[in-house]
Amino acid sequence: MPPENPTGPGPVLGAVLRAERGLSVVLLGAMVVLTLAGAVARWVTGQGVAGLSVYVQSMNLWIALAGASLAARAGRHLALSSGSLLERRPRLARITRGLAAAVSTAVTALLAWASVELVVAERASHVTLAGGIPVWLVECALPLGFLVMAFRLAWHGSTTWKGRVAALLAVGLAASMALIPPHLRGVASTAGIVVILAAVALGAPLFTALGGIAMLLFFGEPVPTPISSVPAETYAMVASPTLPTIPLFTLAGYLLAEGGASKRLVRLFQAWVGWIPGGTAAAAVLVCAFFTTFTGASGVTILALGGLLLPILMKAGYPERFAIGLLTASGSIGLLFPPSLTVILYGVVANVAIDDLYLAGLVPGVLLVLLLAGAGLAASLVHRTPRPRFDPRDALSALWAARWEVPIPFLIIGGIFGGFMTILEAAALTAAYAFVSEVVVHRDLSLRTDVPRLFAETATIVGGVLVVLGMALGFTNYLVDAEIPMHAAHWVQAHVESRLAFILLLNGFLLVVGCLMDVFSAIVVVVPLIAPMGLAFGLDPLHLGIIFLANLELGYLTPPVGMNLFLASFRFNRPLVAIYRTAVPFLLVLGLGVVLIAYVPALTTSTVEMVRRGEEAPPSSDEVRRMLEADEPPAPGLPSAGDLMQEL
Amino acid sequence: PAGRTSRAAAPIVVKLGTIAPEGTTWYNSLRIMADRWNQLSGGRVTVKIYAGAVLGNEGAMVRKMRIGQIHAAAMTNLGILDIDPAPQVINTPMLIRSYEELDFVMDRMTPTFDARLLERGFIALNWGEAGWARLFSKKPVRGPADASGVKIYAWDGDANAVEVFRKAGFSPVVLASTDVLPSLQSGLVEAFPAPPLAALSMQWFALAPNMLDVPWAPLVGGTVITRAMWDQIPAELHAPLLQAARELGEGLKNDVRSQDRKAVPVMQKYGLQVVQVDAATQAQWETRARSLYPYIRAKVVPTDIFDMTQASVEEYRTTH
Ligand code: NA
Ligand code: NA
Repeated sequence: MPPENPTGPGPVLGAVLRAERGLSVVLLGAMVVLTLAGAVARWVTGQGVAGLSVYVQSMNLWIALAGASLAARAGRHLALSSGSLLERRPRLARITRGLAAAVSTAVTALLAWASVELVVAERASHVTLAGGIPVWLVECALPLGFLVMAFRLAWHGSTTWKGRVAALLAVGLAASMALIPPHLRGVASTAGIVVILAAVALGAPLFTALGGIAMLLFFGEPVPTPISSVPAETYAMVASPTLPTIPLFTLAGYLLAEGGASKRLVRLFQAWVGWIPGGTAAAAVLVCAFFTTFTGASGVTILALGGLLLPILMKAGYPERFAIGLLTASGSIGLLFPPSLTVILYGVVANVAIDDLYLAGLVPGVLLVLLLAGAGLAASLVHRTPRPRFDPRDALSALWAARWEVPIPFLIIGGIFGGFMTILEAAALTAAYAFVSEVVVHRDLSLRTDVPRLFAETATIVGGVLVVLGMALGFTNYLVDAEIPMHAAHWVQAHVESRLAFILLLNGFLLVVGCLMDVFSAIVVVVPLIAPMGLAFGLDPLHLGIIFLANLELGYLTPPVGMNLFLASFRFNRPLVAIYRTAVPFLLVLGLGVVLIAYVPALTTSTVEMVRRGEEAPPSSDEVRRMLEADEPPAPGLPSAGDLMQEL
Repeated sequence: PAGRTSRAAAPIVVKLGTIAPEGTTWYNSLRIMADRWNQLSGGRVTVKIYAGAVLGNEGAMVRKMRIGQIHAAAMTNLGILDIDPAPQVINTPMLIRSYEELDFVMDRMTPTFDARLLERGFIALNWGEAGWARLFSKKPVRGPADASGVKIYAWDGDANAVEVFRKAGFSPVVLASTDVLPSLQSGLVEAFPAPPLAALSMQWFALAPNMLDVPWAPLVGGTVITRAMWDQIPAELHAPLLQAARELGEGLKNDVRSQDRKAVPVMQKYGLQVVQVDAATQAQWETRARSLYPYIRAKVVPTDIFDMTQASVEEYRTTH
């Protein structure tokens, strides 16, 4: 349990807190049960349940907001905790903390207001979930969540009434911006951005920076755009069928890590690969790569596996700092291997054959895995990690002890590859399996005390992550609205001449993109802009695709806002700045790999050429377009719909 | 008066979203419309096009129009459905049998559709099509009997469509559209309904290379603008802008029809098999389709709209 507030929660706040915890247990449980029930119904009756996935995706939004609100109470929102720099100046630290709290309260209150506007607009819509629940009711999670968060940030951000009054004043000041005449809004917006950046430097949560700056940018546009455009994009998270895998895999990871699975897996790893120099690190990298191929690039790997693998690496003798860095870096490794959804999405958007893209990514993917494994080997030699002798009897008994945990990966692969399950269903099954093995079989976790605590903990972590993601989507929405990626593309077309300069610029640009946008936005927004440019510079479309995806992987690791860094900060409960320090060496190692991938096209193209020798290539989108727009009549012998109907 | 002129002269920016990528026929037609509007208004109206679904799927675009972030969208049947279920009546399986019938019915129904859209805060700039949906499957499906047990993709945003497929004899599997390709690969889904043009451009046909040559339903789409934005545009421009949009919509409709046809031989070059059926099987499909009408009339589209549409189909058939 998080420490109680010194002033006590009071009856009203206490009820809110109980409601949030209860809600997170019920919602997470329902997400698992409903998803599995849908899968079972399909296996039994051969038919899916209509509208079920939309329910699960809607619950994900509620979990996100309830969790974010719990995180606000516990002071666990992601922030640049520069407060520690002021340890020796307690008075100054108190003041800066109060200022940061005032700004973040104001931004969050504005987000609540913007969400109210969204809900009001949505009420004009007739669209409902299956069963008649209107969409605006689902959207109510946003204003409610942000409102509670605003109160929490004001209340917990300052211990004095003076500070809380300051927070209230900040809210009033932010609200009064609506009175600023249009021609002064640009200036006001810039001033507001400066204030928010300062507040974030002083420790205001990161989501308030992304959301606040996005709202100010919309507000300051020459033709002002409603600030509800920010929460509208956060709501768009509901449209994603893969995002609900985040809470489900996180829950599974927590159940396994807090149950005895960690101990059993530590023993298993030690017994089987501990004798190889760098073996444990390499195995950890492989496990992460493997997991990422199934979960996409959202970095769920860190949430699901971080808690399991950290004790394993430390037990094997790696320093904590190295272990955290390695796991953070491994969070998006494996993105290039089948059945990664990221590759599929790239193929669809860029109109590149997906199986060719997988083939092209094989060598680069292996290269990145080898680089991290190599870092592990180097670390094991430098730190002289102990190397137990391989003992077959011990290895088998460790395998037997972990007999409930070992089948999990096979469950996931078999289910997805065999066409039995979607990725979401696999996530729900993993969570249910982890629950049964840790709570029912091994009885390492108590149903009464541990389970509710772990559910609430999962909600807190997931809420913190999803609210940052939701605000990043809102920020991306501004970039798109202002056509900034398009302008950048035009600039490049006008100013860059050589292919190498283009690749170099692309590397830098994608690093920033991967750092700011989530992978799906990045693909949908950026790929259509760079794909034609790549062609113009004579880059092979497959090569461009792999450069793009490998660069995004690197972007997740790039300070200050790479997603993996956030996730690691949450999962390992370390300040973001500390995570930066652990990640930078790995950023350099992987950077070397990405440079090789970018400048040695043979790494990507040769595999495809080898496999596809003599085959006819599928049509490119341009060929298709030409064929469709050609004026000559279509091939004879095929009656068209109209002709066929005439005959009847 | 001076203040008034300067306000009228301030450029009006219409932000328009579409899932069509840059360079496609659909996008090019919107581009021409944007230029024509700019010309006709003497530079007062500028249309900014957000192509390739950068604003999200069509549901997200409708939401963004409602809050006022964007003001217009060129959409397929899925987006229109989020504004008003009535135009979906055109997608009723095998209700409309030819482009001639479709043109006649749309002529009759458009005023009603327009009026319903206006009540919901939108002005229809033009109506068009996204193609004529057919069945694509891994194993050939010939008659309705072959449909039993075939796992067909049903879009998770539309619970009614699921019921329609179920009643048609298929086993609908509810998925998000991003899950379709991997699910076709793994066998979770074995068939999908789509216009040939869409099956080609999404690359789905490669994984389900049998196309049943029974025209299942035309998918109606269109370009809409919010009433709030339309009211900002000077009233004297309404008629010419609307006329330009309608003319371009007409041209686009014909392009889509021709490309939807040509998509089939293109896919055949890459391994598509067209499953032809005889008149008896065709009749079986029609019987199966008609058995769905009571459900569609009761649950999917407003009853009066269904009856009106069916009546205008009958009218066409008796007069032609
Ligand atoms: Na986006
Ligand atoms: Na989006």
